[in-house]
Amino acid sequence: MGKGQARIDNTIRTLRFNAGEMTQAALAEKVGVTRQTIVAMEQGRYSPSLEVAFRVARAFGVPLEAVFQYRGENE
Amino acid sequence: MSFKEWEAVVNIIAALAIGAWVIFEALANPPVTVEAVAGRLLWAILFGVLFTIAAMIVMSILVSIARREEFKDEKADERDKLVALRAMRNGYIVASVAGIASLLTLAFSADPARAAYVLFGGLMLAGIIDAGSRLVYYRIG
Repeated sequence: MGKGQARIDNTIRTLRFNAGEMTQAALAEKVGVTRQTIVAMEQGRYSPSLEVAFRVARAFGVPLEAVFQYRGENE
Repeated sequence: MSFKEWEAVVNIIAALAIGAWVIFEALANPPVTVEAVAGRLLWAILFGVLFTIAAMIVMSILVSIARREEFKDEKADERDKLVALRAMRNGYIVASVAGIASLLTLAFSADPARAAYVLFGGLMLAGIIDAGSRLVYYRIG
């Protein structure tokens, strides 16, 4: 959120699809955030805290870097 | 729109309605003393709180009917708290300016009642800025 937020990409939509079309509401419940926050993350409008990022990765059973990728400042 | 966004909309409507009522009353029946002005503004604050509560209940019922499911607030997560903090910061800036403007009004020997109106109007504006900021931050991130 805020300045510089768009430098982190994520594959949450793909991971949800691969997890049997898991709904945003189901993922939100697993992670412990609101559905709106999942929507904002998928659309790249919100970069979560490290803790929530880990919880998202754990919800899919994948490492953190499989969910979030840092693009860097010059990319 | 989420419950918290609707809540922000209701806050804006309430602030505008109460602000309009105060302005109308100030122009139609200008109070004579500072005590009368302060009393009227305190009533306006009470009406504002009651209006907001009633509007929230009506909004919840109407949206629940439209969506055919109970529309209720969710527990705030980290994004909600971040949005609220950033919006509150914007509101705080406006409230601070209102406080300074109110003091300046008194410093320049203006009618103290006018200073009360400046402070009240500034605080109403701060509420609108806070709620408006929440709407913007929920939309643009």
